[in-house]
Amino acid sequence: MNSRIEYWVKIPIGPIHPALEEPEKFIITLDGERIINVDVKLGYNLRGLEWIAMRRNYIQLMYLAERICGICSFSHNHTYTRAVEEMAGIEVPERAEYIRVIVGELERIHSHLLNLGVVAHAIGYDTVLHLSWLARERVMDILEAIGGNRVNYAMNTIGGVRRDIEEKHKRAILDMIEHYRNEIMPKIEEIFLYDPTVEARLRDAGVIPKRIAVEYSAQGPTARGSGVKKDVRYNEKLGVYPDLGVEPVTPKEFTGVIKGDVFDRMVVRVGELWQSMELIERAFDQMPEGKIKAFAKDNLILLKLKKADGEGIGRYEAPRGEVIHYVRANPGKDIPSKWKAREPTFPNLFAVARALVGEQVADIPVAIASIDPCLSCTDRVAVVDAKTGKRRILTERDLLRASIAKTKELNPEVSARPEVVGVGCPRGDLP
Amino acid sequence: MTPEEFLERIKERFEVDAHISENKMPHPRKRVWINVDRAEFKNLMKFIKEMDPKAQFSIIIGEDRGEYLSAEYHLELFYEQQPSLSVIVATSCPKDDPKIPSLGDVFPSSVPYERENREFLGIEFEGIPDPRRLFLPDDFPEGIYPLRRDETGIKPEMIKNAGHPYKIGGAKK
Repeated sequence: MNSRIEYWVKIPIGPIHPALEEPEKFIITLDGERIINVDVKLGYNLRGLEWIAMRRNYIQLMYLAERICGICSFSHNHTYTRAVEEMAGIEVPERAEYIRVIVGELERIHSHLLNLGVVAHAIGYDTVLHLSWLARERVMDILEAIGGNRVNYAMNTIGGVRRDIEEKHKRAILDMIEHYRNEIMPKIEEIFLYDPTVEARLRDAGVIPKRIAVEYSAQGPTARGSGVKKDVRYNEKLGVYPDLGVEPVTPKEFTGVIKGDVFDRMVVRVGELWQSMELIERAFDQMPEGKIKAFAKDNLILLKLKKADGEGIGRYEAPRGEVIHYVRANPGKDIPSKWKAREPTFPNLFAVARALVGEQVADIPVAIASIDPCLSCTDRVAVVDAKTGKRRILTERDLLRASIAKTKELNPEVSARPEVVGVGCPRGDLP
Repeated sequence: MTPEEFLERIKERFEVDAHISENKMPHPRKRVWINVDRAEFKNLMKFIKEMDPKAQFSIIIGEDRGEYLSAEYHLELFYEQQPSLSVIVATSCPKDDPKIPSLGDVFPSSVPYERENREFLGIEFEGIPDPRRLFLPDDFPEGIYPLRRDETGIKPEMIKNAGHPYKIGGAKK
């Protein structure tokens, strides 16, 4: 007789996390510390955008698409305009393409800096969180100077961009790149590539093998961290990117090995920060003078699109992976008959859910943070003991504590307190 | 493999209605659009998977087109070369028999999209490994498919303060 008692417990993680948008829930089945199964439930913040879009014209849809996400707002807007341009056969002036590259890469820099901080927070390095987010303020200021807003810059329009990048913007951006190159990037590399504690904590955590990344269609840094050489900017020959020499970044160029763990995903992000800065500099070198939009006024766009017929697909490599938009025209009307968007977190979530099987509970926060989801739902966890039916409530703080305790095992020198980013859950613990 | 070669190989095996489009970016980009009957649909997808075992599945675009429901599948093939191959496979089903074979065993990543289209448009994917709801709450009424444009769609009395921003309370007359 086997005297060992085995029972599985089910842990729901989520759905509310007030610090980040897009709540969703992971239901995790545990055997002791080991994860047996992960189930994903979405839709806690379903806004019905596609339903709303049935009532919007092409111009209004552009701003609706921008508001899908606060961090990659440029990406959605950009992809949507590309889909419409492909559908109607609109040619974009070359200068506008370069401005799109510059703003898109600035957005990638701010998004990756944000994620580096979030992952550092998930393992207890709050100093890194504060410093990387402080560094991020510089690029946010630049984006505000160009677009008039820290997020939702509304740079794109169908057939071009809405604002030009002037000489003073160019100077500020080049100054910022200089600052990042000399002051910030050496520190970031020191932490994420060479720090022994970070390496010990992130290596072999949340491994997504290449086979699973391909099977579950992982996107962006999640796929490239597993060694899938895929980058929409490169594969799609997107805009003027081929002239700028874009290549998919894999961890092989930096560390020589590809393991597909959290560490590798962070290495890809660090590599892409370098790549983005180079792309911006090259874009400034090659940018021609000229028009920035194909239509002088918005009503001309609607007039042109009323006559359009056909369908178009737009694809773009957002900071988190491939964004894809589909638009089908409705001849004679200024409302498209179908608009559909897909964001990269959707396939990535299922890939990471599959990859978490066999990992430990303490790795959940960092594994989920490492795909850079538009969410982080480690807010409130109820552990139900299946055998006794007793309920124990874990908060985000408890999970963080477990994660930090594991870091401390590796390096007792680390001094961090589990602090909740943002305001925390306003409703507090469950009764 | 160029889009033309790819389409030729598809046409050798299957009866499809297909064309290649090209857009006007500085570097023109070709896409292959294939329209196939739902009886042949699964075999075609299996054949594509045989051609490139690493094919990436991007999206299912389900749409209510009046008399019938359509589903378009976007795939990216040969992404380790530049440019990769962008393929859109479309199939459709009548509204009184909304059934399309599921691709759960060919492309495991298609299951979340099938769950999404199942709840929003009422397309039944035959043989789907996980037919639960994904986005809609569990207590959402049965038989209502939010993205349908007919009587099974969202009814005006279900809408509160939604619709056009300048006509708040859009349902009221």
